[in-house]
Amino acid sequence: MIIEDESNKIILPIISAKNVVIGYDSKKPLFELEDFSVYPGEIIVLTGKSGIGKTTFLKTVAGLIKPISGHLQVLNYTKLGTDISNIKRGELGYIPQNLGLVRHATVMHNVMLGANARYKSFWHPFFSNDAKESAFTAIEGLGISEYKYKIVRKLSGGERRRVATARTLAQKPKLILADEFLSELDETTKSVVQNQVLNYISNSKASIIIVEHDLERAKQMSDRLFVISDGKLLELPPDNDSMFLKGGDK
Amino acid sequence: MKLLDNYYFRIFRNLSILLLVIIITWSVFSNLVDGDWGSLENSLDNLSIFFYESLWPPNWKVIEPQAYPICTESSFFEFKCSTAWIGMTETLKIAFVATIFGMFLSLPISLLAATNLNPFWISYPARILLASFRTLPSIIWAILFVILIGLGPVSGTLAMTFYTIGYLGKLQYEAFEGISRDPLDAADAMRLNKIEKSIGVVIPESANNLISHLIFMFEYNVRHGTVIGIVGAGGIGYYINLYLKFLQYDKVIAYLIIIFITVVIIDLISIYARSFFTEKENLKRASWKGVFIPEFLFSKYKKE
Repeated sequence: MIIEDESNKIILPIISAKNVVIGYDSKKPLFELEDFSVYPGEIIVLTGKSGIGKTTFLKTVAGLIKPISGHLQVLNYTKLGTDISNIKRGELGYIPQNLGLVRHATVMHNVMLGANARYKSFWHPFFSNDAKESAFTAIEGLGISEYKYKIVRKLSGGERRRVATARTLAQKPKLILADEFLSELDETTKSVVQNQVLNYISNSKASIIIVEHDLERAKQMSDRLFVISDGKLLELPPDNDSMFLKGGDK
Repeated sequence: MKLLDNYYFRIFRNLSILLLVIIITWSVFSNLVDGDWGSLENSLDNLSIFFYESLWPPNWKVIEPQAYPICTESSFFEFKCSTAWIGMTETLKIAFVATIFGMFLSLPISLLAATNLNPFWISYPARILLASFRTLPSIIWAILFVILIGLGPVSGTLAMTFYTIGYLGKLQYEAFEGISRDPLDAADAMRLNKIEKSIGVVIPESANNLISHLIFMFEYNVRHGTVIGIVGAGGIGYYINLYLKFLQYDKVIAYLIIIFITVVIIDLISIYARSFFTEKENLKRASWKGVFIPEFLFSKYKKE
């Protein structure tokens, strides 16, 4: 598929996968991506049964796990086959299911990790305030200013989730991978977090892949909805729940 | 495979393994005794003769001021001129400096030794380096430094530092390897470099364990600091060795009692200190009263 912008320039996909087999063990592949692309500014929601490989898929895109076979290109960095480890610093933000926060450090420390990742130089934050400013902006946006200097392990589950989101937003990545980042949140906070992330996506033309179990929310958020079923990643047509019901949890 | 599903068979199997371990241990011990069980039979009698004739009562002259140099302290603080005080404070100083030096020197090596941060061709040489520091017991390090530098607490401090690097380094890299994979995954996805991962993720995430290990290492160094004095590397061990040579065992037991009391006090304080760094939030922090008096003695009368 070729996509063009208003001035007829070809837009390159942020992720492009051809016949990529996802899994840890070649004898037990989890599922296959026959032809999958994500374009700048797109919100992709992924759903499917527990244990079917959604997290493994996100880790593969993040370059933490190598796919079993196929051609995967993420953020235009690739070597034929599998290796996408040369993605540039700070371009990819990942919110793991267990959040991946440094529990014994402060909220500010965690968010600064993301903010510092934006800059090529490790020493940049020592000489400039912009990393700190972007950390403060992300923290304020998610309504966690009052916990800034609190230790993460002393926060509630929902507060931690907001910290993990703030870390990724402070990073200003081109691609966000969010694994169930809205769970454990009450309805009001869910809307705040969701709006912050989606605003960032629409303003920065970044893309996001979200793993989400709540079908209604998934439909509401997504530009395209995917389901993993029968060993394949399938796009769910709008207003058709049947395939989700076959593969999803509900 | 069916048999393994049986609950009683599993209990029987576990008990059999336990019995087998006991039998093997006993047979190895018998092999060491080599038929000379008589020597064990007399051991209690020997101990009681040695205890009442040579060890007891302890000679508390060790906490009185030395004849020379002349003590200039006021009469209330005269004990500060005693060999026990001078020796014990020196041992504590050696242990403190060696623990802190050892921690700073072992930290970079143990970061290299952690397999979740580095490939095996970096982590294994670092592990071998730490193991080599650990292979020599602190007393051998002390002999080495006494030969190199000469008698005194500096040799003791260096000897303990080297041993601390090996021992604390192992505890540290095990703590680093024990952290959750998720923060490292998030950091890897951001493509943070190794220094950022180490300073920003790994060290803070394992900080509680690191501090706990540091306190443990200090305790350990105080206990072992008494041993290295025997080879002339400073501390209370120097005096123990001196009186052992003169067969004044009543003074030796007095020193040992002082060491015992010091170690117990450090141990109790470290329980309190470590309670600040426990993982569980709902765990009650130890109270100072609870450090010195077993809690069940007063908690019964405490209001809920």
